[in-house]
Amino acid sequence: MRYLPRAAALAAILVTPALTSAPVQPSTYTYRGTVHTVQPRAGSLELITGVGFALRLVQMRAVAATRIEKAGVAIALADLKPGDIVRADCRRTSLGLVADRIIEIDGTAAR
Amino acid sequence: MTRAAVAVAGLVALVAAGCEKPLKPGDPVRGLTAAQRDRFTRGKVVFDSAFTPQTGLGPLFNSTGCGECHEDPAKGGFGDEVEVHAAAFRGGVCDPLVQEGGFVIQQHTIPALKQALGIDSEPFPPSATGRAMRTTPVLFGRGLLDLVPDSVILSYADPDDRNHDGIRGRPNRAVDGRLGRFGRKAFIATLDEFNAGAFVAEMGITDPAQPTEENIGGRPIPAGVDSVPDPEITQEQLDLTNDFVRFLAPPTPARLDATGRRGRELFSQIGCAACHIPTLRTGDSPVAALRHREFAAYTDLLLHDMGPDLADICLGRATPSQFRTEPLIDLRDAQRFLHDGRATTPEQAIEAHGGEAAGARDRFKALPPADRAALTAFLKSL
Repeated sequence: MRYLPRAAALAAILVTPALTSAPVQPSTYTYRGTVHTVQPRAGSLELITGVGFALRLVQMRAVAATRIEKAGVAIALADLKPGDIVRADCRRTSLGLVADRIIEIDGTAAR
Repeated sequence: MTRAAVAVAGLVALVAAGCEKPLKPGDPVRGLTAAQRDRFTRGKVVFDSAFTPQTGLGPLFNSTGCGECHEDPAKGGFGDEVEVHAAAFRGGVCDPLVQEGGFVIQQHTIPALKQALGIDSEPFPPSATGRAMRTTPVLFGRGLLDLVPDSVILSYADPDDRNHDGIRGRPNRAVDGRLGRFGRKAFIATLDEFNAGAFVAEMGITDPAQPTEENIGGRPIPAGVDSVPDPEITQEQLDLTNDFVRFLAPPTPARLDATGRRGRELFSQIGCAACHIPTLRTGDSPVAALRHREFAAYTDLLLHDMGPDLADICLGRATPSQFRTEPLIDLRDAQRFLHDGRATTPEQAIEAHGGEAAGARDRFKALPPADRAALTAFLKSL
């Protein structure tokens, strides 16, 4: 019995690095991209993001709590249109990416 | 130091500058440290690597390596390959067709993809409204173009033609809104992003900046076709490639004789220099050899309407007829001209200019033959 605490301690030492070195998935994601599609009824949005010529689509949902704004003023999802440039702060959920906040950016001031 | 000594020292410096060996195509910029030269040399090896399916090539690709296309007259130069781009322009909005595989239409497949889907190239996107041909651009001097401050580029913009000269330079924007400067439509914001995206879009080599493969005309890659883990090159390989391209110098323009000097004057007089701005200056950089450098660029990095005859696809905010002013760097080694290579001589290229460049084109056409020849001689000195 007296070896049990030692065994537990040894196990803890061995297991702890494995737990702490596992890749940590970020809980939030920020995307900046061009609006590709908006479906206000479905509450969905697709952004064109990517690097150089290698572009990718990111799909996300806007829910009732999602704050959507332009120049500091709240707007509706339906006010966004293809071609608009936005920043979206999202988190991954069982439904996929859900946006907490979407801000329409003036492309001419986006550097 | 006496005045005479100062004068002699100044003279020696002037003579030394005059005697500097001209930079040839493929040379690095002057003034790199030993460590930077080493990275240039090692980066050239990555740039010149030929990838295979076992090292990540494909499943779709245009070429097996950067140096396969950018090769003439030296690595980083022109190439004879012409690739296909496509996009849809509807209601004034550009769709780069990401959902159908993106706007770069790869012309080759690896054997495993051909076996799985029976295709030799990426299917042309059915919803495209435009098709474009794109020649391989020279990469010399791109590291300097990368460092021209946004404020300088925007200072040349005149979207409302307030000075009534008929020239309306407009900036393009990358997908995230940053100022674009690379690519024939100025759709890419930085040189590093241009390179990182090219690995994926041109060779199917995923990298740390874009670690996901492109879909196959909108469909996922069939199981077992791409077994190389992503990213398929390391950050160090990407960084070395970036440094090789960044440090490639613009070749020294040839010394002008009287005819060439006359041509240079005409280039400004007839209005070419309104868009092809002869010299630009870089801003700050951690690389001393690239910092605050004036160089012969012959571009404003802005979009201009070139008329309906040259129009092809949209990209970002560039409409089908808008193109970025092509930098006139190493023009002497160009075999084909314009974005799609339709012109085989500088004269043909000038004569194909339309839209905002129609005035300069018409003034060129009205020149006496000797002056036209002089302007052409000047262009061939670049």
